[in-house]
Amino acid sequence: MMTPLYKYGFFGEEFSLLVAFALGLGFGFFLERAGFGSARKLAAQFYLYDMSVFKVMFTAIVTALLGVTYLGWLGWLDLDLVYLVPTHLGPQIVGGLVLGVGFVIGGYCPGTSVAALATGRIDAVVYALGIFAGTFAYAELYPAIKGFVNADAMGQVTLPEVSGLPWGLIVFAVVVIAVVGFWGATLVERRFRSEP
Amino acid sequence: MKLPRLTINQKLAAVALLLGAVAILSQPHRGPFVKLDARELAAVVAQEVDHVAPAELAAWIVEGRADYRLLDLRSAEEYAAYHIPTAENVPLSGLGDYPLLRNEKIVLYSEGGIHSAQAWMLLRAQGYDAAYMVLGGLEAWQDEVLFPSLPADAGARERAHFERAAQVARFFGGEARMGGGAAAPAAAVELPKLTAPPPTPGPATPVARKKKKEGC
Repeated sequence: MMTPLYKYGFFGEEFSLLVAFALGLGFGFFLERAGFGSARKLAAQFYLYDMSVFKVMFTAIVTALLGVTYLGWLGWLDLDLVYLVPTHLGPQIVGGLVLGVGFVIGGYCPGTSVAALATGRIDAVVYALGIFAGTFAYAELYPAIKGFVNADAMGQVTLPEVSGLPWGLIVFAVVVIAVVGFWGATLVERRFRSEP
Repeated sequence: MKLPRLTINQKLAAVALLLGAVAILSQPHRGPFVKLDARELAAVVAQEVDHVAPAELAAWIVEGRADYRLLDLRSAEEYAAYHIPTAENVPLSGLGDYPLLRNEKIVLYSEGGIHSAQAWMLLRAQGYDAAYMVLGGLEAWQDEVLFPSLPADAGARERAHFERAAQVARFFGGEARMGGGAAAPAAAVELPKLTAPPPTPGPATPVARKKKKEGC
């Protein structure tokens, strides 16, 4: 988020940590305000009677997408300086599934578990221990699975590059998908709420 | 006409859709088009802070400094025949796609000085504020670093300076020349063979970027 400012040399390493801390506090605050400090709320997503997680996350994506697009268009943000996580398609699908399974079992995702930890929830403490155990196991297993983890290296690719479609069209498509998704999610909520 | 009553969520969705629709026309990437601050560039050129003297560059290489990237703008054959140690070969036409960061110190050189000056202008226009040229290009590198010469009527201070230059010349495989006002013609000069291959980071390995993990 602060990468362009950081790279332009507007502030140094130490100050970037302070900025990261402030951003982290804000992130945690809004997660808690959205109710994501509670595993019940998060688990409700998977029972389909409360689609808040889907709505909040997709809203964040659309907001950021539009913000970045317009800032880039105005020339206020240099998109070439924004760091992109390199794509490894196969390993990231597997990783996403592992995270999803953990999400369903534990009722948190990594960010929300920390937010819940800050409010003193015991299940979040257990979940955080699980994160440490998982990180440790991954680090120990890394030499064995290194080949797979680094497979399918596609570099820092974006949808416009892969599809060949113009950036703006992808932006519009994602916004349409989001709005249709919100509408669909509301219908799904109604259906599953009435049948407990 | 009366507008239908919308909930706040529906209004936000409508705004998002509108912004998304307008964004179809957007050009968020800069692309090959650039903007120039002519006055600023003119000032930089006038103050002569746009270049690095060959001797200064030589000192950086001897010290083993790694806080800059040295780009050789000549052809691959010329680069293979001889290049300044630590230089990366980037033909002028490939400069636009070459992985460089805007906060890196970039030092350019070509045979004389014209290509590097042109590349310098292109880079500065694209926001690479720390771009520099080797003054006089490879020709000056040859005359001043590899084969420095001492005029016959040199004073003591010049001689002391020359001693140091001679050491640097030996470091790079060249040799100092005493006394000759007019040095041997450039064509007869045998450029040092690149025996000990200096570290030349190729384009496949751009500088390590800081890894950032992001996610929910």
